Amino acid sequence: MAVCTGCSLLCDDIEVSIDGRSITRTKNLCRKGFGRYRSLTSDRSVPRVDGRQTSIQEAISRAAEMLRNARRPMLFGWSCSTLEAQRKGIELARRARAIIDDTSSICQGEIVDMIIRRDIPSCTLDDVRNYGDTLIFWGCDPSSSHPRHMSRFSYYPRGEKLQRGHEEDRTAFLIDIRASPTAKILAGNFVQIPPGGDSDLIDAMLAVLDGKIPKVKDKKALISMMNTLKKADMGVIFPGLGLAYSLKGRMDRLKALVDRLNETTRYNVISMVGHYNMRGFNQLLFDETGFINRVSFADGVNHGPMYSVVEASKSCDLAMIVGSDPISSLPAGIAKALARVPMITLDPHRTLTTELSRVVIPTALSGIEAGGSALRMDGVRIEFDAIVKSEYPSDEEVLSRILEEI
Amino acid sequence: MRVTIVTFRDIFQSEAQEIDRFSEEYRKMSAVVFLDKSDAVKAGVKEGANVLVESDNGRVVVVARISENAHPGLAFMPNSPWSNRLVPAKTDDTRIPSYKSISAEISATEDKVPTVEDLLREMVS
Repeated sequence: MAVCTGCSLLCDDIEVSIDGRSITRTKNLCRKGFGRYRSLTSDRSVPRVDGRQTSIQEAISRAAEMLRNARRPMLFGWSCSTLEAQRKGIELARRARAIIDDTSSICQGEIVDMIIRRDIPSCTLDDVRNYGDTLIFWGCDPSSSHPRHMSRFSYYPRGEKLQRGHEEDRTAFLIDIRASPTAKILAGNFVQIPPGGDSDLIDAMLAVLDGKIPKVKDKKALISMMNTLKKADMGVIFPGLGLAYSLKGRMDRLKALVDRLNETTRYNVISMVGHYNMRGFNQLLFDETGFINRVSFADGVNHGPMYSVVEASKSCDLAMIVGSDPISSLPAGIAKALARVPMITLDPHRTLTTELSRVVIPTALSGIEAGGSALRMDGVRIEFDAIVKSEYPSDEEVLSRILEEI
Repeated sequence: MRVTIVTFRDIFQSEAQEIDRFSEEYRKMSAVVFLDKSDAVKAGVKEGANVLVESDNGRVVVVARISENAHPGLAFMPNSPWSNRLVPAKTDDTRIPSYKSISAEISATEDKVPTVEDLLREMVS
């Protein structure tokens, strides 16, 4: 069995047939995971220094030299690296007195932060499968983003205490602004809200819990939903990017709802983390510094918005990007600022970021060409081995070599 | 015609992104905007036609798709370097960009949809 690193579900039931160095057949992969496996042979990155193709060793030496000479380096990415590589990355950030940040900084960091600090209760996906009888998918579309979420863990399985599965024992609601593929699955329980309407909906939900009439159009539907939510033995809220962006800076609203529900029953929160090991990086950095992201080691340990990728892209004098494509994923105005900074990029593939980087170091695809471990979206540690031999070093190996040379 | 652009993740686009970000497949899946039927009529935009989407932050040409279900005033784009042309670079105190709520003007255009290479060229210009 192999583990798929296509998303943060880290599905560990993947069957793979191998002939020499190539994969001939796979089983149990979703479309997204299959894409990840197919990427093994597509558009791999090549070692480069200043536009010239070179050896991996030369690229590593040049990267170490650039890091040594940098005054305000930023190390960014990390959510597609193993825990072992992330640990080396944090060590390197300390050594280089760098800013370190990861993709949670521009997505679900605020929610993951509350979970890791235990400001809101969480549980494992295995708990959800066995006991989660009332589910709320909120601002997410698992059918597209985590295609096996509903079948492996949350909605369809017959859990230990939920033998009648979704037909009788489990109720799931979807709150979203878009009639997504998941909305079609949960058609009868789809609560459609306007953009930014999440906070108002929370107010209305809290009003019903306080026995008041909610200020919404369809009062009856909301009261009926709240009656179901109240009856949960174990409820689980799965917030996605929709909720994360809508409530940014106001995540206490989500906490208020979870706390209120927990006065009478039990509700947990599992963030719908996208990349396979963002949760791992957030946990590691938190264990080492007390913060999940946006840390500067320039003068001890400091944390704050000025150390976010959004700010540091404008202020750093060197960016090392590990397994991420910020030139693609940042707003163009910020990506433009980053593009002016000398970049060192570690990536298995050619990306928009490698195209604009001074130094490119190709790396092995973790889960397929490199082993290690990662934390699933619920914080459960999953270990995996390499399943094919690779000519590329792992992120961990590259970072170790840079650390030796620096 | 003014709309609010909301970005989202599409599984087919995610698959294409995993495989090759420079492929025509990825561009086809990414450089699109899903419009409400009545909004498309008001903007004079037809299914499959090129459409200019312009926010305070930037502009991009993508292909128009007309949604089956109604969502007047809203337009959906898969999260990609094309949609990121429209996302404001200015952020609030959280330093989290507003990827999912962008006010933009849509209009019919004869201009071409840029390739990833075009976007990169503009990035360094």
